[in-house]
Amino acid sequence: MTDPANASTPAFEETADFINRIRERIATVVVGQEVVVERLLISLFTGGHILLQGVPGVAKTLLASVLSRALDLEFSRVQFTIDLLPSDILGSEILDRRTNEFRTHKGPIFTNLLLADEINRAAPKVQSALLEAMQERKITIGNTTYTLPAPFLVIATQNPVEQAGTFELPEAQLDRFMLLHRLDYPSPEDERELLRRNARLGVRRAEKGAIVQTEFDTIDSKPVGTDAEIVAAMEAVNGVHVSETFIAHVVELVNRTRNHPAVELGGSPRAGISLIKSSRARALVHGRSYVVPEDLFALAEDVVLHRMRLKYEALADGLTGHDVLEEMLATMGATPSVLIPHVAPRTGTNHTSAPNAAQSVSGA
Amino acid sequence: MTAAARRAAPLPLGPGRARVVGTLLAGLTLFVSTGFATNGRLPQDTSATSELVSPTVGAAAWLRDFVLPGGELEPAPVTLDTELIVRIAEVRAHGDAFRYDLSFYGLAPGTYDLRDYVRRVDGSTTADLPALPVTIRSVLAPGQVRPHRPLEREPPSVGGYRLLVGLACVAWVAGLVVILRSGKKSDEEAAAAARPQTVADRLQPLVERARAGTLSQAERADLELTLIAFWRERLALGSSGAARALATLREHPEAGPLLRRLEEWLHRPDPPETTDLDVLLQPYRNVAAEALPALGTSSEARV
Repeated sequence: MTDPANASTPAFEETADFINRIRERIATVVVGQEVVVERLLISLFTGGHILLQGVPGVAKTLLASVLSRALDLEFSRVQFTIDLLPSDILGSEILDRRTNEFRTHKGPIFTNLLLADEINRAAPKVQSALLEAMQERKITIGNTTYTLPAPFLVIATQNPVEQAGTFELPEAQLDRFMLLHRLDYPSPEDERELLRRNARLGVRRAEKGAIVQTEFDTIDSKPVGTDAEIVAAMEAVNGVHVSETFIAHVVELVNRTRNHPAVELGGSPRAGISLIKSSRARALVHGRSYVVPEDLFALAEDVVLHRMRLKYEALADGLTGHDVLEEMLATMGATPSVLIPHVAPRTGTNHTSAPNAAQSVSGA
Repeated sequence: MTAAARRAAPLPLGPGRARVVGTLLAGLTLFVSTGFATNGRLPQDTSATSELVSPTVGAAAWLRDFVLPGGELEPAPVTLDTELIVRIAEVRAHGDAFRYDLSFYGLAPGTYDLRDYVRRVDGSTTADLPALPVTIRSVLAPGQVRPHRPLEREPPSVGGYRLLVGLACVAWVAGLVVILRSGKKSDEEAAAAARPQTVADRLQPLVERARAGTLSQAERADLELTLIAFWRERLALGSSGAARALATLREHPEAGPLLRRLEEWLHRPDPPETTDLDVLLQPYRNVAAEALPALGTSSEARV
């Protein structure tokens, strides 16, 4: 997968090997879902957070679990419910009866990888507490501020179908998630393989009885990477080159979301930043040392869509955010840019060569 | 009849006596009613005329059958500075002189000589006229503030109301025509602007400028996206998602190499020393506009 012409440095090759090991480990447990794995790695390497939206039973929890074990990361899971309190996630001060002093009880957020399951079922106060911690990466309990461990990645999930008794995340809070990936059902071929593997699972003896094995039991506890390799991958992401042309593409797309007649709220500057960061990580995952338009087109839905809000009239006409974004992407290049005027036709002189475009752009 | 009534009763008069009495009565009438008259008596004595009592400011006084020597007289032209206005109602010949019925009124208090406010019809001098002093009295107390001098104004416009209404109608119709014509023109311009721009329209100038090495950074980005749009339309990938379409293009035997070479030129930090854009973009120099549908109106590209 690595393009040798583009990624010739030893550090880059080591990172590519590290990524391949993670992919292979996840593939032993999760069938298909290569795109989700790629998005998880992008989130991990860029320090962004990811919201997975999909129906139950598409291996969201399994993915988070296998990723944490593959990288030897601490993993916590919180099932969000209506009666959850912020202190249930962040922690609290409790009175120690023996010493008559308060001591801090750290909540499950003090981990490397937090799975916030069905985040839209919690009250807005709890959502705000989590999202603030995601942004600040610091928690204040009592009078003491604690820094969250590094790396810190939140994988939140929400069910798009059941909306009764839920609190939809507003756009301003959705903006805190760098990616919102919409999980789909596996392809028929992947689903057949999934069923075959599940059929091979047996039972595990425990005490006097036995427990039916699940896919979680098949996860190899031996990690395939270290903290140092994660850090190296994060540094490699920052070394991926971003050309001025690519930045122009990003600005063009974000501006189209702001100027589209069907869109009430377009992408924020954070959307552009997230596009650049995630594109760099995707380029690294695909073995490139520079970003290309394919990265932008592949990530646009996950990065931009949850930051857009359609107008009421567009919704009444039956449009969806996906439709509008696809139209924007499809017409990029086909309709005049929203940023530059159309180039007037002219007769140019023939040149057999042109200066390198990338010579004039700043390195990443 | 009382004694007073007897004193006021008219006496039988002869022709000469009646004339004298008439003159006295006329003078009395002038004095009382701000009028003044003489009955055909030529004022030879200027001291007698200076005794004539004149009216107050703005009140007219009359001189009837007033005989003045010399040629016929007429009022002198009036200016803004004229303070005594003389009007001659009737002129009759009287031997080698003329008999006048004239009136005058003053605009400011003071003593004036009527000679200064008349002139000969034949333009000869009026020096042979006797002095004709008149006094214009003021009923106001001394020291009253005089009104401002009348402002000189432009002469009234030519034409009047009907001409003004006519011109307004013409202007209204002309304005309506201009508005209708400009609206029609803007519709035509809007229709021209709404004409969908084909990919060829956009691609050709970009290719020419790329080969000339004069593309700006924004235009380089535009060139890349336009070429992607060109191939997406040519391979009819409009119904595919944009990401999937681009992935398909990168695997296409003709489009793939072009896009990869462009990516190397535009995005690699260490691109090849020179990129032969002349060869790379040669197939896109003469893309016929009619060969491609307008992508902007493609049903597949629209939501």
